Amino acid sequence: MVKPIMLCLVLVSGVFAEDAYERYCVECHKELPTSLQRMFMRYLLVYSGEENVKAGLKHYLKYPLKEISVMSDLFIDTYGIKEKTKLSDSDIDEALDIYWDKFKVFNKLK
Amino acid sequence: MLSDQRAMLTKYAYIQTRRLKVLHHFFPEKTEYPRDPRFKSAIYDLEHMKIFSLLEDENVRFDAEEIYITNGHIHLVKMLDEFYLGTKYLIIEVKDSGAWRGEIWKNIISYGILVFILFMLFGLYLAKLFLKPMRDSIVLLDRFIKDTTHELNTPLSAILANIEMMDTDVMVEKNKTKLARINIAAKTVSVLYKDLTYLMLEEEKENHNEEIDIKELIYNRVEYFSVLAQSKHLEYDLDLEEASITMDRRKFTRVIDNLISNAIKYNKRNGTIGIQSREGMLVIWDTGIGINEEKIPFIFDRYMRFNDSEGGFGVGLSIVKKVLDEYHISIEVESKEGEGTKMVLRW
Repeated sequence: MVKPIMLCLVLVSGVFAEDAYERYCVECHKELPTSLQRMFMRYLLVYSGEENVKAGLKHYLKYPLKEISVMSDLFIDTYGIKEKTKLSDSDIDEALDIYWDKFKVFNKLK
Repeated sequence: MLSDQRAMLTKYAYIQTRRLKVLHHFFPEKTEYPRDPRFKSAIYDLEHMKIFSLLEDENVRFDAEEIYITNGHIHLVKMLDEFYLGTKYLIIEVKDSGAWRGEIWKNIISYGILVFILFMLFGLYLAKLFLKPMRDSIVLLDRFIKDTTHELNTPLSAILANIEMMDTDVMVEKNKTKLARINIAAKTVSVLYKDLTYLMLEEEKENHNEEIDIKELIYNRVEYFSVLAQSKHLEYDLDLEEASITMDRRKFTRVIDNLISNAIKYNKRNGTIGIQSREGMLVIWDTGIGINEEKIPFIFDRYMRFNDSEGGFGVGLSIVKKVLDEYHISIEVESKEGEGTKMVLRW
């Protein structure tokens, strides 16, 4: 009786241990050939600043369109446009904050 | 100049942009920010957040002009079209050696001098152009006088010599008066002739300085002009003490002749001519028409005449002044219109 309870606790804690970024982003993107790092660099190339990058990403997640995608035509033609997100604004913001902190260029150059 | 610096900094910005592009591509495998010994640089994002900086002077102005000087450095702020590593603003920094300022000053001075010389030449040309008619008329007058004086000498000498030789004792009174008039006219022309020949031909002759007995010379000249003075019923008031001066007799005679002839010419009928001599001083005064106070400073100018009622070219007093200046003799003019004129010579 104790063993199944312990197993459930470990599984539940494991699920909750994952942050919003890993839960909502990495899960789907791990199937794609382009890393999230490279995608981040593409967003950076187009949107520059933190607020701008986050706003651009959020807009794309909510209203995905080929015309506003930062990815190449070849990539879009091969893998298509993502589906419209069903996440709440707060979930998106949380995931984007983590995404920014993880890949931002600040303090990484030397 | 700063524009030259701008061209150089723009070139550096272009180079650095290419390097950022490469780094963007290889980030995060490569994280070493590109460095160049020729300049320092920094990158900022769209929100003016510093991504990375090597600047010595971190005082970056985004709202200023593309290029500016700050604390001994020149900054060029280049906005990128593609935001490599998120870079919207690329700052290129070089030390401000101030050499461009020296260059500017050098250019300002050299071009300034050039423009000044051009204006001077242009001004000179204009002045020549405007003064040409005046110069031409003076040259014409000089030439005319020079040419005519040559031809005057012989007839004038003949007239004067013959007047002297005439026997007035056998003449009737009427003819004596006529002869006196001829004598006056001839002597007036003679003074004018001597002035003109002096001015045109003899002025540059070498001086033969000698000690002149002023008293003797004055008596001589008074005697010479006595006919002229008598014609206007003038009286001489001579107060002559022994005095002498060392100068060219010919020149001193021109001075005395001109002063006495002016005193006669511009005197009133029944007036007086006074001559006073002291050691180092000679005064000639008259009771004539006088000179307007405002015109006194101009009486020694050549061809300057104030009274058209009397003949002459207006050269007499200019000769006087020239001679007196040559011998450092001062002349003082005191005159009151309607009362007379007093000329005081001091040496």
